[in-house]
Amino acid sequence: MPVRLRLLLLLAVFFSANSFGAPGPAASMVRISTTAQQPDYLVPWNPGNVGGGVGAGFVISGKRIMTNAHVVSNATFITVVKEGDPTPWEARVLHVAHDCDLAILGVYDEKFFEGTKPLEFGGIPELESTVSAYGYPIGGDRLSVTTGVVSRIDFQPYSHSEVDSHLAIQIDAAINPGNSGGPVMQNGKVVGVAFQGFSGAVAQNVGYMIPTPVVRRFLQDVEDGSYDRYMDLGATYFPILNPAKRKALGIEEPDRGVIIGSVFDGGPAQEKLQPGDVILSVDGYKVYADGKIDLDGERTEMAEIFERKFKGDKVKLELLRDGAKQDLTIDLDRPWPFDMQARAYDKRPRFVLVGGLLFQPLNRDFLDAQKDVDTRLRYFFDFYVSDHLYRERPEVIVLSEILKDPVNTYAAPFKGGIVDKINGQRIKSLDDVAAAFEQPGEFHVIEILGEGRPIVLERSALAEAGERIRQRYRVTTEQNL
Amino acid sequence: MIRSFTATLAVFVLLLGAAPSGRSMEVLRPYLPAQAAPSPSPAATTVEQTATPDTETVTKDAALPPIVRVNVASQSFNFTQPWRKNSQVLRQGLGVVLMDGRILVTAELVNNHTYVELEKPETALKAAAQVEAVDYDANLALLAAPAAEFLQSISGARLDDSAVVGDRVEILQLETNGTTVRTPATITTIEVGSYPIDENAFLVFKLSAPLQPRENSFTVPVFKEDRLVGLVMRYDQRTQTADVVPAPVIQHFLAAAGSEPYAGFPRAGLSFSDTRDPQLRRYAKLPNGTGGAYITKVAPGSPAEASGIKVGDVLLRVDGKTIDQDGNYEDERFGKISLAHYVSTVLQAGQKIPLVVWRDGAEVPLEGTLAPRDRSKMVSPPYIFDAPPKFVIVGGIVFSELSRQFLREWGPNWAREGPFRLVYLDRYQSELPPDRGKVVFISSVLPGPNTVGYENLSFEVVEEVNGRPVKSLADLAAAVDSPTDAFHRIKLAEDPGLVILDVEGSKAEEERIKRDYRLPSMRRLDGAQ
Repeated sequence: MPVRLRLLLLLAVFFSANSFGAPGPAASMVRISTTAQQPDYLVPWNPGNVGGGVGAGFVISGKRIMTNAHVVSNATFITVVKEGDPTPWEARVLHVAHDCDLAILGVYDEKFFEGTKPLEFGGIPELESTVSAYGYPIGGDRLSVTTGVVSRIDFQPYSHSEVDSHLAIQIDAAINPGNSGGPVMQNGKVVGVAFQGFSGAVAQNVGYMIPTPVVRRFLQDVEDGSYDRYMDLGATYFPILNPAKRKALGIEEPDRGVIIGSVFDGGPAQEKLQPGDVILSVDGYKVYADGKIDLDGERTEMAEIFERKFKGDKVKLELLRDGAKQDLTIDLDRPWPFDMQARAYDKRPRFVLVGGLLFQPLNRDFLDAQKDVDTRLRYFFDFYVSDHLYRERPEVIVLSEILKDPVNTYAAPFKGGIVDKINGQRIKSLDDVAAAFEQPGEFHVIEILGEGRPIVLERSALAEAGERIRQRYRVTTEQNL
Repeated sequence: MIRSFTATLAVFVLLLGAAPSGRSMEVLRPYLPAQAAPSPSPAATTVEQTATPDTETVTKDAALPPIVRVNVASQSFNFTQPWRKNSQVLRQGLGVVLMDGRILVTAELVNNHTYVELEKPETALKAAAQVEAVDYDANLALLAAPAAEFLQSISGARLDDSAVVGDRVEILQLETNGTTVRTPATITTIEVGSYPIDENAFLVFKLSAPLQPRENSFTVPVFKEDRLVGLVMRYDQRTQTADVVPAPVIQHFLAAAGSEPYAGFPRAGLSFSDTRDPQLRRYAKLPNGTGGAYITKVAPGSPAEASGIKVGDVLLRVDGKTIDQDGNYEDERFGKISLAHYVSTVLQAGQKIPLVVWRDGAEVPLEGTLAPRDRSKMVSPPYIFDAPPKFVIVGGIVFSELSRQFLREWGPNWAREGPFRLVYLDRYQSELPPDRGKVVFISSVLPGPNTVGYENLSFEVVEEVNGRPVKSLADLAAAVDSPTDAFHRIKLAEDPGLVILDVEGSKAEEERIKRDYRLPSMRRLDGAQ
């Protein structure tokens, strides 16, 4: 049974301490201290735990600081310290890209940048070429430099969002907690931003950095003042390696073409691509049978074409559909159903509380907070995209908690259930929950998926119970939509 | 690029709650000899058969109780490689000799048996026996007596169906030398509880007894004086609690076994929940003090559906018995007991039963005819014993039909560790469309030139083959036997969507696959239901 383990360990802390006039990137490095408040998905009206963190960054052009998104996520207060200056300067997030784990910070007082040297970005380093990672990993307080070679250039999952994969470069220079956000240099230029690695229990000397195509794309995306995120086709595709399958699909050229498995609603390929279509080329690049293309002299994932594009850009596909060739142009966008499975940052949990019954939308952060997840809920999460469950339920609403009170004491067995209907209305979003409870009537009738008996709440009892529950459980607000 | 995470995260594997059913199986295991426990030392080596229910001590006697050892060789089928059988397992238990000379044991003792043998305790004389009737739901089996003289010295036992909570009983075991050991026990609880086949609930007696492991312990009888009260099916060492298949269930089984074909235990095919919630009662306009069980599910094709009962009805009376707000009726002997016992065990299949439900603020009389459950219609049968699994191999790709027996190949934590989509389909099969049919899926791939690129397929559900919908392995075999052109087109219900095989190539591969993987045949469709 293939079981993918969650191996990726987020790295933190890059801290600069160096003498004046030091060569290399020392004069560009920034230590970032953050105070962050993690939302509480179990008690969503709670302000959440406040914690601190220290990360690293480096100065880039335009009086900006580049770092990892995970260094500044959920931050309520950020200070930066530069080399040779003990003063903490208050900073703010200018742009953050959670899908590729990058962020740009500004400093309120631009005097901060006096004496700093913006670093420049290089290209993709060659395999086996030597790179140096700068940072402040565990083992001491002063600057650490580790050197290694480029081991692999490939697509990798980015663990910060849990659902995104982009180009990443694996290096064997020791990268440990404390290297996050630090630059990886070659020939005086930044060739990557250290961001994640495997835990030592899993593998040694496997560290990853965000390569410059990803960094440049981020910088270009925010040029218009806002970040539009990565674009995607919104379809799955698979290699066609079987000879009979190639023949049956009418693919004449050997080694060519991938087949579309699923097409997702809400994505740019909806109603354009069909399952079973064979993609022969993308923007003129020949697609090999394993889904790779020749790009800039490298065999790269076909997805790299979409990765480099921006919102509204088009992509041209050459297709084989039912044995006939045809061309197709698709306006790229980001398919929304995947967001449910992605980790969310800088957002307050959404909920509705009625009569002690807490309703929350299913998503990764919610699920991670739960102690117990039953088979049905797990199915709705895992198969939300692949089984197109989002069509019927753009939001899967869970009766996540019952704050015990006389008004709801018989509802206890339904905790953890998925809400199907309230007062006869099918629930497709949290807004639907709030709206359904606004309806007049003697009873509120809540139907849970797969349960034959409804939860019944008498409207007359609710007003009194609401006040009692608010006080008893210190509920500060009854909904956040 | 964004990727959907489908059933891959170990995090969720760990977070998953209790297995869908079989809740007691983790604590309560079949009472196997291997589990050593501190044993109370016998107070006497030989005493007469005068051990009164008052005696706290474990006693032994030399008299001949109506029990024999039952030795079973059993070989289960391998569901992941459906052409092979697993290695042999030997089980031992105690059978109870009934008045007619037949021997009663638990069904668990004889499942997948290849050889069943009786052994007389005092002489170790052995004789082969046949399984005459078996009901895996009720966990009971009846063995045909060998030649009459074999059991000559043993007089058969009668059933005692009068036992109630608080009664003192004795659990019988045998020493290696054939001496009977009697452990006093008390009936502490009588309720409807789960049986080894997860989904079943029948009457269970719970006994408090300091039972010690002995060799013939898989099935152990419980007597009250010289009458059979039940058979132990589980024992929990920690709480010293034994779960017993009681006489009323045995009685029903024996009666059903006498009919041809075997009548079994009837099912109503409905689920209900309590009506304790006053808000629910007011919503359903139920007057106070009327009790009633809220109907939450009516199985398609069930006796309940035929009777016209609907979800949302409140069941007030069954066969003249008043149903209280928890779904219990007042049993003459046991007091308040779940309606499930009355329907499955007290009543017989084929009986016409008058019902009264509360619907839209008024009583509505209905009538239903009870019948045993038709398992052949289940999407995923809860067990398959004594029959080989079906399979079809096409060009190296092995197709199987979903059953819980297949999922059990993942061990006791199958609900967490098994292929998640299949676990989900099994668990929520009652919510699937009534015409869903069986779930046919790719269970493995025997790699060869034909299957290049398909090596990693596993557990994808098949929707269509050669344009025909697949609702059973027989459908798949028929579709494969009549290709529309030079290719088999196998449409999956999930990614990667489409598997295409060469018709001629697949045929040409058959001999090689049979030879290299040593398969007796490329398909078996006459296996288990």
